[in-house]
Formats: sequence, structure tokens, C-alpha cells
Amino acid sequence: MKNKIEENALPLSKRLQMSKTLRDIFTSQDSHALKIAFDALKSKMAISEESLESDFNRYFIGPLSPIADPFSSIYLDNLDQVMSKSTLKVRALYETMGFTFPQQNQIPDDHIGIELDAYYQLLYIEEVKNIDYLRELRHYFLHEHLNLWIPLFIERALACNEEPSTAMVYILTQLKSFLIRETNTQGVPA
Amino acid sequence: MSYSKEKVDTLLHNGISRRNFLKGLAASGVLSSFPGGLLEANEDLNTKIPYLGEKSYETFRNACPRNCYDTCSIKTFVKDGVMQFIEGAQESTYTRGGCCVKGNSYVKRVYSARRLKYPMLQVGGKGSGQWKRISWDDAMEIIAKKLLEIKKDDGTMLGAALTKYSGNFGITHYGIEGMFNSIGYTTRLAGTPCWPAGIDAQNLDMGNMWCNDPEEMKDSKFIILWGVNPASNSVHSMKYIYEAKKKGAKVVVIDPVFTEMASKSTQYIQIKTGTDGLLALGMQKIIIDAKLHDQKWLDANSKGFKELKEYLDKDIKLDDVSKVTGIPLEMIKELALSFAKAKPATIWMGYGMQRHTNGGSMIRAIDALVAVTGNVGKYAGGARYGHLSTWGFNYAALSMPKPEGSVGYTGPEGAKGEFAQVGGEKAAYTDRFLNINKTARELLNSKDPKVRLLWVACKNPFAQDFDRNQLIRAFKQLDMVVVADQFFNETAKWADIVLPVATQFEENDVNVSYWHYWLSLNEQAIKPIFEVKSDVQIAALLSKHMNKLEKGSCTFPQSVDTKEMTIKEFNPGIYTQFGIKSWEELKNGPVKAKAVIPYADGKFQTPSGKYEFYSEKALELFGSALPKYLEVRKPYDKFRMTSPHSRWSLHSQFQNLEWMEDVHPEPSVYINPDDAKMKMVNEGDTVAVFNKQGLLRLKAKITDNVQPGTVLMYEQWYNNNIYNVNELVDDTSSDMGAFKTGAPGVALHDTFVNFRKI
Repeated sequence: MKNKIEENALPLSKRLQMSKTLRDIFTSQDSHALKIAFDALKSKMAISEESLESDFNRYFIGPLSPIADPFSSIYLDNLDQVMSKSTLKVRALYETMGFTFPQQNQIPDDHIGIELDAYYQLLYIEEVKNIDYLRELRHYFLHEHLNLWIPLFIERALACNEEPSTAMVYILTQLKSFLIRETNTQGVPA
Repeated sequence: MSYSKEKVDTLLHNGISRRNFLKGLAASGVLSSFPGGLLEANEDLNTKIPYLGEKSYETFRNACPRNCYDTCSIKTFVKDGVMQFIEGAQESTYTRGGCCVKGNSYVKRVYSARRLKYPMLQVGGKGSGQWKRISWDDAMEIIAKKLLEIKKDDGTMLGAALTKYSGNFGITHYGIEGMFNSIGYTTRLAGTPCWPAGIDAQNLDMGNMWCNDPEEMKDSKFIILWGVNPASNSVHSMKYIYEAKKKGAKVVVIDPVFTEMASKSTQYIQIKTGTDGLLALGMQKIIIDAKLHDQKWLDANSKGFKELKEYLDKDIKLDDVSKVTGIPLEMIKELALSFAKAKPATIWMGYGMQRHTNGGSMIRAIDALVAVTGNVGKYAGGARYGHLSTWGFNYAALSMPKPEGSVGYTGPEGAKGEFAQVGGEKAAYTDRFLNINKTARELLNSKDPKVRLLWVACKNPFAQDFDRNQLIRAFKQLDMVVVADQFFNETAKWADIVLPVATQFEENDVNVSYWHYWLSLNEQAIKPIFEVKSDVQIAALLSKHMNKLEKGSCTFPQSVDTKEMTIKEFNPGIYTQFGIKSWEELKNGPVKAKAVIPYADGKFQTPSGKYEFYSEKALELFGSALPKYLEVRKPYDKFRMTSPHSRWSLHSQFQNLEWMEDVHPEPSVYINPDDAKMKMVNEGDTVAVFNKQGLLRLKAKITDNVQPGTVLMYEQWYNNNIYNVNELVDDTSSDMGAFKTGAPGVALHDTFVNFRKI
């Protein structure tokens, strides 16, 4: 992973920071990385790394059927499938945006973490680099893709009434308000 | 709206628009401005706009590795690295372009969101549901440390046990046993819950289990499908049966259940469960009395016909045969005589029939019926049960040497399973074998040393084995349970570590069948999704970590390529048998073994070299030289319960997939209308089915497809449902199995239950 951002001295705007944090939460692979990303949300919640990950796995990872699978195909195409039509549509979008995905065909392109990564990087070139070339594609991505499934994903995850996790509810609420803010601003720089 | 949907849609679908857009993108400086993440800038766009439009299909050769007669040869269609659909291979006259309903769902299986994706550790203890994602390296290090700890404490690796069975019959999957061979002398759950009594029976009679090519059945003049339901469970065999029927052959189904196959037969004969051997003996008596037996063949090829005849004359009374089997005597006579007159005639025996306390004896009696009529060793004839004659691979993945200085078991050595046997000289030590059909009990009782680690692969014991409560206790007392699987199931629930396993589309392998005579290459068609690995890659990674901790502690290669592993399985014998020069020819499609009619040369691998009606080996091992009638287990509760295979699943596989759940969402108990009326149960009522072993609650289906006094439930695993029919089954053994497979089978269908409406 390239981390050019770390070298960059410019402070990130709030929305950029939030998209990055949400991305880092959903792409974390261990409890430590998850905890760091979660703490960046500034929830003031005291939760151990282990409990946080256990809840996170129960909600989104497995090995038991997660409460809400984090792939668009589940909500747009078929309840039980990854790598289907909407996955390939997102793939085509990434390609048109100038991205490659080294883990293509290993991690579904429409995994929420990958989609948030795309959104964050698109915001970044607009906000930090002042390049507008992909602005229209970002709006399309937001309105014609992210908004079609992430609200359903959040709804399903929040509907969990068996041992609901405060930490997961917090993450989902942050994700929801991020999406609402992005939708309402129509992508106008904050 | 700050975007035009139409414009972006055009960009995505129109190659020229997209190309122009990407040219502009490269010029805009976007590529060098992306901050980077999991997605990276496509630097190629700076120099040349690559083709990014619609991709064409690539095709791959695959095979279905499930425990199924049909072992389909498959052609897989992949676009842009994503599996799109599969077809049955056209090149195989057996698969002939079509898969079954289960096979057709493979894309759904590979891309099921329910698949296990990452190695996970159950941090809250077995059954806690608190899972932590761990890296493969961490998982293997934890396991390697435990194994080495066992060796250090006990001085042997016998505290490590493997239970693996039929989840994947690909040849390189014997690398799982290879992994256990490579760490030392270990404990194995040995034997087979499937077909062992029949294997022993056929070996006693003919010195082998070797069926005729099923494709020959099209030329059979008389086919008895005895306790077998190919209309559900071997659909590719149906075309031969239909063709024979069309040409005038009689197709008779003998089964306690009116099956899908029965509905397609010329004649259906409903027999009382567990009395098939007696029917076969009665038929022989009628045939011999009518002098319709093949004396010439018998003289030249058999041993003990005289003794058999004396037994039939003396002990088999036709009125009793009729009474016990529940079949009118006239019908038995007509069946016997018409079978004897038709040449060639064949009998296909299902595996359910031998899952009785008298199962092996019944297979022997039916073998004898085929032999008496001179149909053994004949084209389109034969006593069909199965074969392993095309399984002569190298078993390179299996044959791993023990680490130097390994210490093992010094008790008596037995057979290790029906498929692959490790050759070689007799060693000072052996592995320790526990009966797979008594897994819970054997694990609980193991001592000197106690089993402390259990590795489960290609198997879902909680959905398939007996006595869940004991099994939970057995799992809980183990230091470590490792479950390698594709889906999360109840076995995984009681694991410490789960490892996500590749499907056959994500690895290379080679496959043959225990029924037909085709050989199929299985090519890796797609990248393994998420972090799944093939079983042999898991073994290699374990070896790496064991050797890192203690050099020389594991002999398995530390890195493997599944393609190279597959190539190592071929040998000149396989090439000659299948008429190919190289495995690479299989890329053009599956090939069939050169035609051989089993036993046509009159050579049997029995002690006498002949077909043995009278077998001294049988006398020594099982107390009866002749295929005498042995009464089935006595009822210990009100109703008999049978638990055959469903067409929607294969043991614990497939039923969890969406398509199968749509058509068959929950388990049912099938009850005869007379019994239902007596118990005041209506269609759709929830009933409790119970016995001394356990209790299951499920919906009732009322049908006279099952006879009065018998209830039927399919053996299956349902996602999100703890149904396991084997909770009602005790682990009473069938009569045979220990001779060739290491342990007797289980008398699954000699289970008795009662039921009531809830």
C-alpha cells in the first residue's frame, strides 16, 4: 500500500479524514489496526481490542454468517453472493477512474472497505490536489452505487437485536452520517 | 445533480468514450495524485490505454470431487477472472454435457457469501462464538507449537489425530493424510461410514470390488436396481437405463421406499427392509430348481456351488421368503425366472442396503444371484457395487516419509481405508487407528497417549456422525481442534481454529470415479478468493512452521504448487490404462479407461482364484462361509427409521446453498398415512421423533412412498439448523467392513424410533 498521504503536510479536511477512518476500519485485518482506526472516530468509548474485534467479526466478517455482509452484491443482486453483477460494475468504475486493484478476484471489488478507499482517494485529489477530472464520476459513484446499498447494509446491521454492540452501532452511525453529509453537500467541498 | 447518469453510463459501456476519457485522465495528473490505498493508480494509462472493455470467456477443465457415483467432468467458463457458469464436459459420454442440480450450483457455492474467508481463532473457547481473525502464519505457528508440545510430552505424535473422509475425493487431497504422515506416527479415525460391508462382501465373493462400466447397461436385457436410486443420486446413469428400457429390457426396482427411480421402472417391488438377502436366496432356489442356472460357468469359475445348493435346498423355504420379504410368492417366481432367462442381466446394489447389521450378508446373497445365472464376467452383466480400478495413482501427496526417529504405535496393523493404501515395507511402528464410526467414543476413551489435537478435513462430523452430545464432550476435552472447511458449520463451532479451504476451481487436481471409467483433470480456473488455501498448501505451510520451530520435524514440502503436485500423481500405469501419453492431453477433455469386462477372463483374486460361494475367509472373519440369510436387527422401538441420501445435497454439502434452500428449505419426516392416522399427525404438523439416543423436531410429510411401520428422514446438513438425523442413530456396527476398510460399517438403517405430534 502506498502511503503518500503520510508525507503530505496538509491537514485533511473533516470529510476526508472521516472517509479515511471509515476505510481503515473496514479494511483492518487485525484487532490492533481496527482499534487504531476506531479510536480515530473519537467515540470516547472504552473497549478492549479483543472485544472490539470480536464484535466486528460478528457483525461483518464471520466465521459465522455475519449480521451484515459488507459487499454491495448482497444488497443489489443476491442475498448470498459475492462477485456478481454489481461487483463487476464497480470494477468497471474503478478502471474508468484510473485505479487498479492488486487484490482483484481475491477480494470482491465491492467490499465496503475498497469502495470507501476509492471514495477517499477521489475526495483527496479534489480537496488536496484540486483536480476535478473525476468529480462527476465520484458523484455518480456516490449516488448511483454507494447510496443504493450502504443504507441497506447499515439498516440490516442496526436491526441486530441479539447482543447489539455499542461500538458497532457507533461505527454504523458515523458511516450513516458521513453518507448523508456527502449526499446533502452533493460533493461540494466543505 | 452534479453528474449526468447517462454520460457516465456511456463511459462505462462505450469503449471509445472510455478510451477518450482515460486519455484525458492520464493528462489531468490524476494518476500521480492519488494518495494510494488498496486501490492503486493504473500507471499503464500514462503510456498506453490498455483494453478495458468486455472480456471474452476463458475455459478450464474441472471435475466434481464430491462423494458421488457420477464424478462429473466439468468445463468452467471464466470471464475477467470471475467464474460465470459451468457445463458438463461434452467429451465424456458419461457426463455428456450436463451436471446435476447440485453441480449446476457451483458458481453459487464458490461465490457464496457464507464461505469461510480467513483463518480464525475462537478466543473465547470452543463454542463461545468469540472469534479473532489471525494470519495464516499465526494459525500455523499455533498448531505447530501444539504438535511439537505433544511430541515432547509423549515422545510420539500419537496424540495428534486426523479425521478426514469424503468431502473431496481429488487425488491430491490425500495430501491431508500425507501431512499427518509427514509429522510422525499419528492417530487416524479409520474406516468408512459409507460402504464397507459391501466392499468386504464383494471381496469375499470375487476378491475385488470391480463393477462393469455403467455405460454398458444400455445393452443389458434385464436390470435390477436393488436399493439404489440413480434417478436422484446418479442422474447420468439414467440415460443407459432408459436406453435399455427403450430396447425392451425390464427395469425392476426393489426398494423399501417408492423412490424417484421406482417411479421410472418397469416394475417396482416394495420389500420389507433388511430382508433383501433372503429374497435373493429365494430367487436362486427358484432358478436352480428350474435348472435355469449357468452350470457351465459355475463349473469353470466358482467354488462352493454345491454347498450353496445344499443350503438353499435345506434352509430356504419359499413360503417363508414370501412372508418375511412381504412379496407375493408368484411375484418372486416370475421375477426370478424372467431374470434368469434374460442375458445379459445385471444387478446394481445401492449402498443403503448394506447399512444394516446383516448388510454384508445381503450383498453376498445378491452377488450369488448374479453369479448363479452366469452374469458375472459378462458384458452388460455384473453384480454392480463400485470399483477402484482406475485409482492407481502415485499418491505422491500421501506418501510422505516419517521424520527420522519417529516413534509410533506397536499394536496390530490393519487396513486404513478403502481408497489409498500406503505401500512399503512393514515398519517397527504404525499409526494408531480408531474407528471412524465411533469417533466420539474413541476420542473420549483414547489413552497412552490421549488424543489432544484433532484435525478435521473434508468432513463435518457434527452433521454426519453419531451421538452429538458425546461428540461435544469429546471435542471439548481436546487441547486443540482444527477444522479446515469451506463453510462454517457446527463442527467449526466446536473448533479452536478454522481454516478456509479452496474449492476445486481454486486449485489443481485429478479425479476419477468409483463408478464410471473416466479420468478428468481439474485445473485452477480462478484465483483463490479471500484467503482460502488448498489442503496441500495448508500442509506445506504447516511444514514450514514446524521446521522453523524444530528442523526436521515435518517432511512435507514447505512450499507446493498444486499443479506440480497433481502432475506427480500420474504414472505409466495410468497413461496405459487411459491410452494417453501425458497428463497434458487431459486439457483437451476427460478420457476413458480402455474397456475391460471385470472377471471375463475367469480370474478372481480370491484364495481359490474362483468366484467363492463358499469362502473360508468369510467363515474365519464373519462366521459363515456361505452367503446365508442373517436376520436383521430386532426392533427396539415402535418404527424403523431410514435415512437415505437426498437429491438436494451430498451428505453435508450443497444443502446450505441458496438454490437448494429455495426448493428444500427444511428437513421433514416422511410418514405412511396409516401411521400418521394412528398418531393423529397431519401433513405439515411438527412432530417429535425420538428414541433412546435423542429427539428431533421437524415437519411431517404424509406419503405412502414409505411403508407402514417405517419413517424416513434424509441425512443432510442445513445451515442455521442443528438437524442431524444421526442423533437418533446409535453406532451399532454392520456385519462386515473390518476386512478391507479397517473398521465395520454402521447399521444406519437399523434405527428405531417413535414419534408424536407436538
